[in-house]
Amino acid sequence: MATVINISDLRVEYPSRELGSKTTVAVDGLSLDVQQGQIFGFLGPNGAGKTTTMNVLLGFVEPTAGSATIFGVNVTDKSARQRLGYLPELTYYYKFLTPEELLRFYGKLFRIPKALLEKRIDEILGMVELQEARKRQIKTFSKGMQQRAGLAQALINDPDLLILDEPTSGLDPIGRMKVRQIIQRLKNEGKTILFSSHELGEVETICDRVCIIHRGTLREMGTVQDLVARHQCNLEQVFLRVVGYEGAAPHRPEGVTV
Amino acid sequence: MPPVRTNVLALGGLVTAAFSLACALQVAMPRDERDNEPFDLMQTLLGDSRRMFADHFFVKADAYFHSGFYPTIFDNRESFETAHMASDAGVVEEKNKGDEHSFLGQPLDVFDKFSRNFFPSVHTHMDEGGADEGHSHAGHDSGELKEGHFVGDGHDHGHEEVGKGVREILPWLKISASLDPSRVDTYTTTAYWLRSRLSKSDEAEQFLREGLRRNPRNPAILFELARIYREDRKDAARARNLFEAGIASWQKTEPAKKEPNVFLLHQLMSHLAQLEEDANNDLRAIELWEKVKQVAPDPAGPDLHLRDLRDKLAQKSGQQ
Amino acid sequence: MNNILAVSSVVMREMYRRKDFYVLLILTVLITLILGSVNLFNDSNIVRYLKEICLLLIWVSSLVIAITTSARQIPAERESRTIFPLLAKPISRTEVLLGKFLGCWLASGVALVCFYLFFGLISAARESGWPLGSYLQAVTLHWFMLAIVIAIALLGSLVFAAPSSNNTICFVVIAGILLIGRHLHKVAVGMEQPSRGILTVLYFLLPQLGWFDVRERITHNWPPLDAGPFLLALVYALVTASVFLFAASWVFNRKRLQ
Repeated sequence: MATVINISDLRVEYPSRELGSKTTVAVDGLSLDVQQGQIFGFLGPNGAGKTTTMNVLLGFVEPTAGSATIFGVNVTDKSARQRLGYLPELTYYYKFLTPEELLRFYGKLFRIPKALLEKRIDEILGMVELQEARKRQIKTFSKGMQQRAGLAQALINDPDLLILDEPTSGLDPIGRMKVRQIIQRLKNEGKTILFSSHELGEVETICDRVCIIHRGTLREMGTVQDLVARHQCNLEQVFLRVVGYEGAAPHRPEGVTV
Repeated sequence: MPPVRTNVLALGGLVTAAFSLACALQVAMPRDERDNEPFDLMQTLLGDSRRMFADHFFVKADAYFHSGFYPTIFDNRESFETAHMASDAGVVEEKNKGDEHSFLGQPLDVFDKFSRNFFPSVHTHMDEGGADEGHSHAGHDSGELKEGHFVGDGHDHGHEEVGKGVREILPWLKISASLDPSRVDTYTTTAYWLRSRLSKSDEAEQFLREGLRRNPRNPAILFELARIYREDRKDAARARNLFEAGIASWQKTEPAKKEPNVFLLHQLMSHLAQLEEDANNDLRAIELWEKVKQVAPDPAGPDLHLRDLRDKLAQKSGQQ
Repeated sequence: MNNILAVSSVVMREMYRRKDFYVLLILTVLITLILGSVNLFNDSNIVRYLKEICLLLIWVSSLVIAITTSARQIPAERESRTIFPLLAKPISRTEVLLGKFLGCWLASGVALVCFYLFFGLISAARESGWPLGSYLQAVTLHWFMLAIVIAIALLGSLVFAAPSSNNTICFVVIAGILLIGRHLHKVAVGMEQPSRGILTVLYFLLPQLGWFDVRERITHNWPPLDAGPFLLALVYALVTASVFLFAASWVFNRKRLQ
C-alpha cells in the first residue's frame, strides 16, 4: 500500500502569550504515516496538537522543524492539495451563496471542466441529501445541513485523501448518522481519510488505525483492536489512561515511533 | 407572559402619561422672547454658527462665478478677498490686491505641476461665458495660467445665452441668505445678477423685499430696489423715492460707524443725480452732483456732469 | 488567473446580494431629486449645484462601498472560518488576495456605472449638452482611484485586528488625503524643521488621490483632460495599488492562520 501522508519529526512552535516565555511548543517530534485506503483516527484532548498537525498538512502553518508530505509532495506546495478534500470543524460557508454556487466556486479552483463539474455537483448534492435545497442560500440552512454542505465541498474534486476535523461535532443523532454513512461510503470507495473526533465510539466503529497525541507528542498508535487488546479495556478507557486520567502514568508499549 | 391586551393598555397608559406631562411642562416652562419668532430650521440646528456657513456658501457662489477656478485656504487669497461676483455687480467696493490669475503660484514640485491638470486652472467669469467659453478660447488648460478673462459664445447655449450661466451661483446665494439674513451683500448681489443677466426683475425685487423685511430700511437694499425701478421698470418716481430713502437711511445709520460705507453713499447719490439729470431736473442734478463730488474717490466724473449741466443751463438762459 | 477570477466572482455576488449598494444608490437618488425639486427664482435651468451635490454623494457612496466591502473580506473569511476550506484548495494566499481585490474593484466599478448613469440623466435633464468624453474620463479616474483605496483597505484588514477599526482608519486616511493631500507641500514650506521635513516626506509618500478627483471640471463643464495626464494618472493608480497589494500579500503570506 502506498503512503498517502508522511509526517516526519514534526515540530511546531508558536509565539507564546505567557509572560517570560518566548514560544509554546504545539507539536513536538511527531512522526506518522497514513496508508492508502485507511481511515485514520486522530485522537487527543483539546489543545493536544491535532488541529495544528492538520493545519501543517493543509499548508496553513509552516513547521518549525521536520517535514510533512501528501502523496509525496511537500505540503507547502499548493499542488499537494489538488487531490485533497478538507472539512473543518464548525465552519459557516459563504451564507449568501447557494450550495450549488458554493460547489461551482470550489470546483473552479480545481479546474474541473464545466460539464464534469455540473455532473459532479448533482452527484454530491444527492449524496449529502441537499438536492432539494440546492437553490436556497446557505444562510437559511440548519447546522446539520451546513455540515453536509461542508462535506459536499470537501468532495467536489473527488479527492483521494479526506481530512475531516470533528465532522459530527454539534450535530443531532440523525445528522451524525448521515455523516457516518457518507464516511462509510467513501471508505468503501477506497478513499483515505484522516479523521479527528472526540466521539470515541464513532472512531471505534469507523477507523482502521488510530493515534493518540497529548501535549504535542504521539502517545499511542495502532489498530483499534491492537490498542484494546494491549490495554485490556475499551478505546475510551485507553484514551483516558494515555492522556493521564485515572491517575496512572501513560503506558507506552514498545514499537511505537515517536 | 401577560396577554396582548394588557401590554397594549400599559403602553397606551404610558404614552398618555408622557403626553400629559409634556403639555403640563410646556405651560409651566418660562417663555423666551424668541418663542414668538417663526420657526427657523437652520437657526434651531446651527445656532449662531450658521453665519459661518453663510460666509462659506457666499464664497462658494463666487467659486461658481469662476467655474471652480478659486483659491483654497492653502493658496494666496489676496486677489479674492472681495468676492468678484459682488464687486463686478457694483454692490461692494473691491479691495483685492495682487494678480488674480496666479494665486496658485509657481508649482512647488512635479506632483503639484501635474495635479493642476485635474482641476480648473484658467481664470474665467461666468457672466462673460465661464468655463464653456474659457476652454474654447484658451485652447487647453494643461496647468498653464492664462492671462485675462475669456469671452465668447458658449458652444452649448447660443449667443443670446452668453452670461446666463451666472444663474448657477444663485442656489448658494439663496442658502447663504437663509443662513444669515443679516448679510446684506447676499441680497444685493443676487438681485443684481437676477435682473441684469437673467432678466428676472420680479424675482430680484421679491428677494430684495425679503431682505428688506429682515434688514429694515437698509440703504444698500434700497439702492438695489431703486435700480430695479429705474433701469428695468423705467419708473423714475418710485426710483427717486427709493434712492432718497436710501440716502436718508444712510445718513441716519452710517456716520456713527467707525468706517462708514462711503462707497454706498457715492453710489446712491450718483445714481440719483443721473436720474435727475435724465429727467431734466437740472438744478436738482447739479445740487446732487456737487454732493457726489464730495464723496467720490475721483472728482473728475462729477465735474464732467457739472460742466455739462451748467453749459446746458447757460444755453437755456441764453435762449430765453 | 482562473483562481483569481473564481474568488472575484464570489465577491461580486456578495455585493449584489447585500443591501449596502442599493441603500446608497436610493439615498443618492432621493437626495438629488429632492434638491432638484427646489424652486430657485423660477429658473429650472440651474443645474451645477445639483451636479456637485450628486457627485459628492457618489464619491461618499463609492468610498463607503469600496472600503467596507474590501475591509471585511479577509476578516470575514477568518471569522466564519471559510478561509480554511478555501486555502485547503489548490490556491495560494496571493491568489486569494488578488481575487478579493479584483472582486471588490469590479464590484465598485459596476456600482460606479450605476451611480454615474443616474448622474448623467440628471445632467442631461437640465443641460442641453451631454459631454460623454468628460463623464467617461471621470468615471474611469474615479474607478482607478478606488483600486488604490481597495488595496489600502485590504492591507489594513491584514494589519489591524478589528474590521471596524480598519474601516475607521481607512476612512480617515483616505478623506485626509483627498482633502489636504495635495496641499501638504505648501503647508510644509511655511513650517520649521523637523515638521517641514516630515510633512514633505509624507507628501511624496502618500498616494496622490487628488489627481483622480475631476468633480470641479465635470460640474463646471470643463473639457476632457488631455490623453497624456489622463493615461499617466491611470498608470500611477495601477502602480500604487500594486505597491499596497504587494505589501498585503507579504503580510498575508507571513500570517499564521489558526
